[in-house]
Amino acid sequence: MVMGELAEQFDVAVLGAGPGGYVAAIRAAQLGKHVVVIDPAGIQGLGGVCLHAGCIPSKAIIYASTVASTLENAMALGFDVGKGCGKGAVDLKKLQEWKNNVVRKLDTGIAGLFTQLGVETITGKAFFQSSNRVGIEGEKASIHAVEFKKCIIATGGSPISLPGLAFDGSTVLSSAEALDLDFAPEEFVVVGGGYIGVELGTAFQRFGSRVTLIEFGERILPGLDPDLVAVVEQRIRAAGVKIVTKAKATGVEKKGKKLVVQVETANGKLEVSADKVLVAVGRKTDARALKLENTRVQLDEKGLIKVDAQGRTTDSSIFAVGDITPGPALAHKAYRQGKVAAEALAGLKSAFDNRCVPLVVFSSPELAVAGLGEAEARQKGRSVVVGKFPYSASGRALSVNRSEGFVKVVGDAKTHELLGVSIVGVQASNLISEASLAIECGALLEDVAHTIHPHPTLSEMIAEACEDALGECTHLPFKKGGKK
Amino acid sequence: MAFDFKFPDVGEGIHEGELVEWLVKEGDVVKADQAIANVETDKAVVEIPCPKAGTVLKLHAKVGDTIKVGEVLVTIGSAGEKYAGPAAAPAVTPPAAQAKAPTATVSKAQPTAPSSMARGGTPAVPGAPKVAAYSADASAAAFEPMQVPSQVLAMPHTRQLARELGVDIKRVPGTGPAGRITDEDVKRFAGGGGSVSPQAGAAAAGGMALPAFEKASWLATGEEERVALKGLRKKIAENMSRSNWMVPTAVQFDEVDVSELVEAREKEKARAERQGVKLTYLAFIAKAVAHALKEFPYVNASLDEGKQEIVLKKYYNVGIAVDTPDGLMVPVVKDADQKSILEIAKEISEKAALARERKIALGDLRGGTFTITNIGSVGGIGGIAVVNYPEVAILALGTIRKLPRVVEDRILLRHVMNVSLSFDHRVVDGALAARFVNEVKKHLEDPYAMLLEVI
Ligand SMILES: Cc1cc2nc3c(=O)[nH]c(=O)nc-3n(C[C@H](O)[C@H](O)[C@H](O)COP(=O)(O)OP(=O)(O)OC[C@H]3O[C@@H](n4cnc5c(N)ncnc54)[C@H](O)[C@@H]3O)c2cc1C
Repeated sequence: MVMGELAEQFDVAVLGAGPGGYVAAIRAAQLGKHVVVIDPAGIQGLGGVCLHAGCIPSKAIIYASTVASTLENAMALGFDVGKGCGKGAVDLKKLQEWKNNVVRKLDTGIAGLFTQLGVETITGKAFFQSSNRVGIEGEKASIHAVEFKKCIIATGGSPISLPGLAFDGSTVLSSAEALDLDFAPEEFVVVGGGYIGVELGTAFQRFGSRVTLIEFGERILPGLDPDLVAVVEQRIRAAGVKIVTKAKATGVEKKGKKLVVQVETANGKLEVSADKVLVAVGRKTDARALKLENTRVQLDEKGLIKVDAQGRTTDSSIFAVGDITPGPALAHKAYRQGKVAAEALAGLKSAFDNRCVPLVVFSSPELAVAGLGEAEARQKGRSVVVGKFPYSASGRALSVNRSEGFVKVVGDAKTHELLGVSIVGVQASNLISEASLAIECGALLEDVAHTIHPHPTLSEMIAEACEDALGECTHLPFKKGGKK
Repeated sequence: MAFDFKFPDVGEGIHEGELVEWLVKEGDVVKADQAIANVETDKAVVEIPCPKAGTVLKLHAKVGDTIKVGEVLVTIGSAGEKYAGPAAAPAVTPPAAQAKAPTATVSKAQPTAPSSMARGGTPAVPGAPKVAAYSADASAAAFEPMQVPSQVLAMPHTRQLARELGVDIKRVPGTGPAGRITDEDVKRFAGGGGSVSPQAGAAAAGGMALPAFEKASWLATGEEERVALKGLRKKIAENMSRSNWMVPTAVQFDEVDVSELVEAREKEKARAERQGVKLTYLAFIAKAVAHALKEFPYVNASLDEGKQEIVLKKYYNVGIAVDTPDGLMVPVVKDADQKSILEIAKEISEKAALARERKIALGDLRGGTFTITNIGSVGGIGGIAVVNYPEVAILALGTIRKLPRVVEDRILLRHVMNVSLSFDHRVVDGALAARFVNEVKKHLEDPYAMLLEVI
C-alpha cells in the first residue's frame, strides 16, 4: 500500500459502522453527500459493537432472562408454569438463534437504508495517510485507499483485559463472547461490577449459573447513587448472585476441569472456583492505531480524541464521534454526535450541546438516571430539594406485582429547576425519557408536577416525586412544613 | 523583574490584529509610551506604545502573526537580564486558555455519575492508553472542547436559534423561569441590546454573524494563488455578507440634472482653492444628503432587531466610501448637517488621505448613519451599493456626463448624474426612498441655496 496508489474519492469517509458511524453516514447521505463507511466487518458489521456485541444482544439476553422472573411472577399469581424457571429450564442454543435473528434483522435494516441512500461500505480497517486520505487494510477490502473531503472517526472501543486474566476466547471471556454462550456455565465468575458485569451476571444467574461478582470498588455499580444501587444489590443477592466487593482478581488457573480465580481482598486472598470467567472492567479506545500522527488530530489526557461541540477535531477536515471521544460511552450519545457531525460537515449549525445524557442499567430491577444525582448536585454547590416516590405507593406498580424501587428527583431549592431524576425499579429504562426531555428543556419541578400523567401508569411516579420535592404530594403522608 | 506586555484592548470591540511591523528588536532599550509595533486591526493600522521603560527581552510574535487581545506581545526587563521563559503563570496564560480553564474545572467537578460509570466502572484501568498530543495545531488555541453535559439552561430549539444567529449562548443572560434563556433573550442579544459583556459586544453590536454555508469547492484546472483572507479584506467580507444576509435590500434609481451644480462648483472652486480646499462634488452631495436626512428620519435610522425597535438618529454622520490600496474604507463626516460645504470638502479629503495611508483613527471610521459611495469617480454610469449595515441606506453616484436632455420642450446639453439608493426595506419603503431621493435631487439642482446656507 503506497501513497501513490489509486484512491477512490468520496465526500465523506466514515470509519467504523457503530451507532456513531452509521448514523453519521445516513445523515450525511440524506444531506446529499457521497459517503463510504469502512468497517472491518463490512456490511455485516453495520451497527458496530452496539448491535453485535453490546446493547442489542445484551438486552435480548437480559430480556430472555427476565422471562424467568416473569414466570416466577406467574407462579406467584397462581399460574402453573410446568418446569418453571429453574436450572436447565431454558435451551440457550435456541435462545442464541433467536438473539442472532434479532441482530440480523436490525443490521439488514441498516443495510437497506444504506442502499436506498447510496452509502457504500468497504470491509477493512482504516488508518490515516493524511488529513484527506485513509489507507485500508484487510483481505476483503475492495479498494485500499480512499480520499475524502471530510472524515468521521467512529471506531469505538474494545474491552479492557486484566493482567493475569487475558482473554483467551474459551475460558476467560469478554462481554462479546459471553453474549454468544450457548449454555449456562455451572459456576460463572464475573470480574467487574459495572453495568455490563451486573447485567450479564444477573442474566446468567437466572439461566441457572451460580454467579460470583467481583468488584474492585466498595459497591457494585460504582459512581451511581448508593440509594438506588442498594435496591439492585439487594435484589440480585436475593436471586443468588454472590457479590465480593473491595476485591481484585489477579489471576486464573486451570485445576482439573475447573478454573480457579485468584482474588485479593481486604481480608486476604480468596480462590473462587469457576467454569467460565467474564472480565468486564471497562472499555478502552485505541486511537493511535489510526495513525493519527499523519493528521493534526489531537488526543486528550485519556487518549480520547478531542472534539468540539460539533464533533470537529483539531484537524478541520476530520470529525470524531462515539466512544472514541470524551463523555459517557453510550450508544445514544454516539447517535446524537453522529447526527450532529454529519450536519456540521454539511454546513448546518448543529451542535452536541445536550444538557443530559441519560444512563440506563438493565439490571433487575432497572436503574436509570437523567441529569444530576443528589450528591453531585450538592457537590456542584447547588442548594437542592429532593423528592421521592416509592413504587410501593404506585397503584400501577402494585398491580403489576413489582413494588421494589423508587423515583427520586433533585431540584434547585431556589429556582425549582429540575436538576436530575433517578429511577430504580421495573421499567425504569422506559420511564426516564420524560425526565430527559424535561431536563433538556430546562423545566421546573412545577412543569413536571402539573403535567397530567395518565392513570394508572408508572409515569405518575415522576410527577408525584416532583410534587414531593415541592411539598405537595397527594399520595404520600403530608410532611410538616409542606406546601398547603 | 521581567514584565510581559500583553496585546492591549485597543478599543471598540477589536480583539485581534495582525502584526505588521516591529519597531524594536530584542535587546533594544525602550522608553515608556514608545511605539514598539504596528498592528493592523480590521479597522486601521495602530501603533502599540509600550507601557513601561526597560530592555526588550523577547518579542513573542512574528510579522504576519495574528495576535489576540491578552496574548503576550513582548517581555520587557532590565538591562543585562535574560529572558527566562514565561513569567508567573497567570500573567502569561493566553486568554483562550483562561477561558478554557473554568470549563475544565466544571467537567472535573462533575464527573457525572452516569459518565464515569459509563466509562467502564473499575478504576485504575490497566492498559489504558496514555497521553498523546501529536503535532500542535495553530487552531488549537481557538478550539473549544465539547462539554458533556452542557450547562446552558435553554430549550434545544433556543440553543439552535443562538447558533443560527451566531450568538454564544453562554453569554446570554436568561430572563425565563430559573434563569432559562428564552428565544427573546437570544434575539435581543443578537440585536445588540441586553446586557452585553465587553467581549460579546463585538459580536452583538453588529447583530448577526454569518450562517455557516457549506464552502464551495472547485476543481483547479490551472495554477492558482492563495491569498489569506485577513485584516481589512476579511472585515469587508464579513460586513458585506452580513449586510446581504440581514438586509432585504431594494434599490431606487434616478437621474439628477447637475448642470447648475457643475456651474456652481466651477465658480467657487478658485475661491476654495485659495483657502486650501479642493471643492468636490462629493462635498455638495454629502451636504444635500445631510439636509435630506433631516427631513426623512427613517432613512437616518437603524433597526434594533433584538428589541424590535427602529432607532431614529438625531445626528447626521455621513460616511464616504474610500478606495484604499488595501480595500474599501468608510471615513465618517460627523454632524455633516452642521458643517459648511467647504468644511465638509476639507474633512473628506483629509480623512480619505489618512484612510489611504491606513493612519485614520478608529473613531473616524465609526458612527456613520448613512453612506455615500462615489463609484462614478472611478467609472460607470451607476451601480448598486450594499447597505452599510446597521445603517439603512446608501447612495451610489454615477459619473457626471454631458447628455442631451429635454428641458422645457427643447433638447439641451445638460450635465446629468445617475444615482441609486439601496435601502433596507424593513425600515424604508419604496415610496419613502423615492421621496428621499427627490429631496436630495432638489438640493443638488439648487446648489446655491446650499452654498449660501439658506436652507
Ligand atoms: C455488553 C455491552 C452492553 C452495552 N449496552 C449498552 C446499552 O444498553 N446502552 C448503551 O447506550 N450503550 C451500551 N453499550 C455501549 C455501546 O455499545 C457503545 O457506546 C457504542 O457501541 C459506541 O458506538 P461507537 O459508534 O462509538 O462505536 P462501536 O459501536 O464501538 O463501533 C465501532 C466500529 O468501528 C470499527 N473499527 C474499529 N477500528 C476501525 C478502523 N481502524 N477502521 C474502520 N473501522 C474500525 C469496529 O470494528 C466497530 O464496528 C454496551 C456495550 C457493551 C460492550
